[in-house]
Amino acid sequence: MIMKKTLGIVLAASMLTASMAGCGSKSATTSSAGTDSTGKVVTLNAIMLKHPLTQDLEKMEWLTKIEKEAGVSIKWQQISADWAQKKGTLLASGDIPDLIFGQNAIVDSDYSQFPGLFQDLTELIETDAPNIKKMFSEKPETKTIATQLDGKIYAIPKYQRFWPTTVARQYVNQQWLDKLGLKQPTNWDELYDVLVAFKTKDPNGNGKADEIAMDFTGGGFNAMRLLSSEGITTTNSSNDGFFVEDGKVKNLYVDVRYKTLVTFLNKCFSSGLINPEVFTQDYTKFQALARGTGDVAKIGFTWGWEVSDRFGNTLAPQYSSTAPLKVSADSTDKVSWDYNYDYLNFGSNMVEMSAECENKDAAMKFIDKFYDPATSIQVLFGSMGTNISDDGGSYTVLPPTDTKMDPGTWKWTSSMADNGPMYIPDTLKLTLPTDMQSLAKQNEPLDAVMKSIDIEKDVWPGMYIKFSSEDNTTLALNNTNLGTLTSSKWASWIAKGGIDKEWDAYVSNCNKAGLPETTAIMQKYYDDYMKTK
Amino acid sequence: MVGGLFMNILKHKNMKTSDLVFDYIVYALCIVIFLVIAYPLYFIIIASVSDSTLVSTGQVTFFPKGFSLFGYNEIFKDARIWSGYYNTIIYTVLGTAVNLLFTLPAAYAMSRPEFQARRHVMLFFVITIFFNGGLIPTYLLMKELNISNTIWVFIIPFSVNVFNLIIARSFIEGTIPKELYEAASLDGCTHFQFFGKVVLPLSKPIIAVVGLYYMVGHWNDFFTALIYIRKDALKPLQIILRDILLTNQVFASGAGAGGASGGYAQQYADQVKYGVIIVSTIPILMVYPFIQKYFEKGVMIGAVKG
Amino acid sequence: MINIKPRISNSSSGKGILEIKKKYNILNTFKRDYQLWLMLLPAIIVIIIFNYIPMYGIQLAFRNFDFSKGLTGGKWVGLKYFKQFIDNYMFWPLMKNTITICLTSIIVGFPAPIFLAILFNQIRNAKVKKLLQTTVYLPHFISTVVMVGLMIVLLSPNTGIIGDLLKAVGLGDVNLLGSTSSFVPVYVGSDIWQNCGWGSIIYLAALSSVDSQLYDACKIDGAGRWQIIWHVDIPALIPTIIILFVLSMGNVLNTGFEKIFLLQNGLNLPVSEVIATYVYKIGIISNQFSFSAAIGLFNTVINFFFLFSMNKISKKFADISLW
Repeated sequence: MIMKKTLGIVLAASMLTASMAGCGSKSATTSSAGTDSTGKVVTLNAIMLKHPLTQDLEKMEWLTKIEKEAGVSIKWQQISADWAQKKGTLLASGDIPDLIFGQNAIVDSDYSQFPGLFQDLTELIETDAPNIKKMFSEKPETKTIATQLDGKIYAIPKYQRFWPTTVARQYVNQQWLDKLGLKQPTNWDELYDVLVAFKTKDPNGNGKADEIAMDFTGGGFNAMRLLSSEGITTTNSSNDGFFVEDGKVKNLYVDVRYKTLVTFLNKCFSSGLINPEVFTQDYTKFQALARGTGDVAKIGFTWGWEVSDRFGNTLAPQYSSTAPLKVSADSTDKVSWDYNYDYLNFGSNMVEMSAECENKDAAMKFIDKFYDPATSIQVLFGSMGTNISDDGGSYTVLPPTDTKMDPGTWKWTSSMADNGPMYIPDTLKLTLPTDMQSLAKQNEPLDAVMKSIDIEKDVWPGMYIKFSSEDNTTLALNNTNLGTLTSSKWASWIAKGGIDKEWDAYVSNCNKAGLPETTAIMQKYYDDYMKTK
Repeated sequence: MVGGLFMNILKHKNMKTSDLVFDYIVYALCIVIFLVIAYPLYFIIIASVSDSTLVSTGQVTFFPKGFSLFGYNEIFKDARIWSGYYNTIIYTVLGTAVNLLFTLPAAYAMSRPEFQARRHVMLFFVITIFFNGGLIPTYLLMKELNISNTIWVFIIPFSVNVFNLIIARSFIEGTIPKELYEAASLDGCTHFQFFGKVVLPLSKPIIAVVGLYYMVGHWNDFFTALIYIRKDALKPLQIILRDILLTNQVFASGAGAGGASGGYAQQYADQVKYGVIIVSTIPILMVYPFIQKYFEKGVMIGAVKG
Repeated sequence: MINIKPRISNSSSGKGILEIKKKYNILNTFKRDYQLWLMLLPAIIVIIIFNYIPMYGIQLAFRNFDFSKGLTGGKWVGLKYFKQFIDNYMFWPLMKNTITICLTSIIVGFPAPIFLAILFNQIRNAKVKKLLQTTVYLPHFISTVVMVGLMIVLLSPNTGIIGDLLKAVGLGDVNLLGSTSSFVPVYVGSDIWQNCGWGSIIYLAALSSVDSQLYDACKIDGAGRWQIIWHVDIPALIPTIIILFVLSMGNVLNTGFEKIFLLQNGLNLPVSEVIATYVYKIGIISNQFSFSAAIGLFNTVINFFFLFSMNKISKKFADISLW
């Protein structure tokens, strides 16, 4: 009797465990079964590489709305840090979700290195993505960006239209200039004199010689912007040194004009005109210094994105943006600047699909929803109603509901912002938020120069060029070595001098690091691209 | 005899002076060390409640300035913190239990000099400190075994840390005399009984140390979660804190591509940075004193005799 | 105690005794020490599954990574990536920087916790001792990102408190964060600051198991404090010290990555570019799996060689070894 009872329990238990084992065993990387044709909701897995400020995707109303409209339910994995470490493992083990969102979360070289992992979207776009087709026809550059060397499309780019032509504006403390009776500098010599005045004449009026005449950092807000005074047009800040001049690809790190600039900067540094911690401070410190203390400003001359971002709301009124400088009053070099139009307004690789996705049409239809302009502006700025108002025929971006927040931060917290797929056509009428309007104004001193840049001959069209797998590897290896060499010399020559003595050995080391090889590769791709235009 | 007593007193007096000097040196060193270590820790505490612009420009030295609990508000506002704490506690407790369960018997076995194979087994273990197949094969293995994205990935795979195994073994080897086992086995004691009844009680210091190492290893681990965990519900504290923390690194590369990430946001990142350490360290701070008492003296008294 | 089970060997009797010993060593140990094997079993199983099975991945260093063919399917290229690394013009600077940092860490950083443990052991007031110990182990818990942020604030020549101290003694021109000569001391110093207290725990534990009767005996013999340390404390620590030292030899080329990466800047790059940061830039950022696997393996082999040698030396001279 007891035996029977025990047997019964054991049987029941084992059946229970067997059925449970059957339930949860599938690994959760590809979507579970579900059809969209009968109106049932399809579940898809997606990763979104989002900005750390961005709120939980589940809270974005516009996103929930388009999921419903497309008949999908997305299981989001939201990543904002350490993507580089995770990515290699995910890709190499083939363990990716149905969709991956985020600007350049996956890059061009990944498609050739991991063949068969990502879905070729060309046909799906034809059948399921009318908005994307519209974008391709209205803005053919996006199609160029999307197409890989083998002719396939693995990811969709974005176009966000409102951004300026360059990432860096040059700022000088106008209040200090006025106080000292100086004019905005127009060339390096005048700049030097202005910086000396800033340093020695206590323009912030607090009785301490605590002014920092010039400050800069790496990337776009670098003193290398002054290379433009000598006629070099950098593209996307040319961190790897490459630029195009009159159809020829060159590298600024071995250019004589770089030597001139470094010599000038060294002169400034030894006169105490540059922040002594310029190479050792981190970005936090860089920004914190610019905010000064209360009303008292610290920085005289620097580069930045936008005035209230760079200096904070209190000190922003003290600064003016200035036009690019010439080298000297009688210099004849054609003054240029850093050209970033393509990189700021277009974006590559915004969303990819796994080749293993079981519901490709549903996924594609969902992706296409992002590219409906009415949705796109919500991707960028936030939900209709809270962040944007629909004025019937045109839209206005509303100020932040939290009055302490600036519009930039508000945008980043509310929505995917620049990291989401979108298409904002040139014909769309939208009133920008205050920070972007002010940005356009601050860009005015640069407009003349930007318009004069010869896009055909003097700009590196990096956005539109795709490298083969081997060339990519060569470039990566060589550029890493070159970078170590150039960044340490840049810092040591400016801070400690010695460029004249060491120049020749340095150039020969750059060549040993593979620079001629890299330049030849870049030139080849440039020529090929130019032929297609 | 009086002379001898006198000599003794003299000896004491001499010892007293050199002892005194010694004591002064000891205390002086301790004070210096204390200050050098305590000041930055104190700085972290006051920085976590100060205005971050003032902190990075060096205006906060001994007292908080621009007092604000903004950083802590932001941290605790994120509901994931609580699930993070909960998860970490579970992983740490369960994980450490398994660690000790697997490591201590092995350490004992390896400490027996009569165990002829022990040098080979040790080599077998040590090789794994150096040679490993890399992240990708390990990741694939976890997937195959279906423990990826579950709590088991925190508990089973790295449950034996060879370094800890070695120190445990060395300790047992050094402090449990051979004669003890010989005496016990004559009485018919098996290895298991000896281990449980004699070795473990005498090894309290090393169990405390190794247990602490494992525990802290679990507590601080963010890499495992980074690679193997997808579900938010399984994330331990360190990963969540790291997410919050790394905003600063993002800002370090400049304004977001298009549209300023905002100065307001920069200040937010900084204040959170210091608060994060406090939040993640307090629990350990509370546990350590309990473990520390096992380092106190007098553990081995009387063990050798009899 | 020693049970010899005589076995009848198959060969002629001359070799008999040796055969007995040999068979005894390997096969018989299963039978005789089955309890010990049982105690080892969980550990061995875990290590086999999670450490030995994935080891097939090491061959990635000798193959081209070909995703379509899986990890083991790429074309065999032998030592191509090793050559690529060694012929790389960065090779010698990387090796030099890495070894400098590691050796300095070992030479300066290894004795520090020992010194601290002995020092704290001298304190008789239990409350003070506890306070000191707790304070001193806390820095270990500061994550690297925050630690570097802290260093940048405190060491800033203009605004950091340490910068102010330096100015007070007249060294105001030195930028600790931005010079090739100060990078290694700052890096190693901060490591010691962070880990010294934590590292002293194991030595304190070893000291705590010293029979207090030994101390009493010494005092009666009239030994001074320093002599007590020399004759009681240090001998008690020697086995632990030796084992830990041998193990630290296995880190001759391991610098850890995150802290150095965060502290790197243009001014210290000539000495701060190490193997770990290089592998990150090449391997992780541009998916060069085989290349980074090869460099990793190269690293490992050298570390293992050092450990192996040190183990042999310590076995010979101190009769203490890992195996």
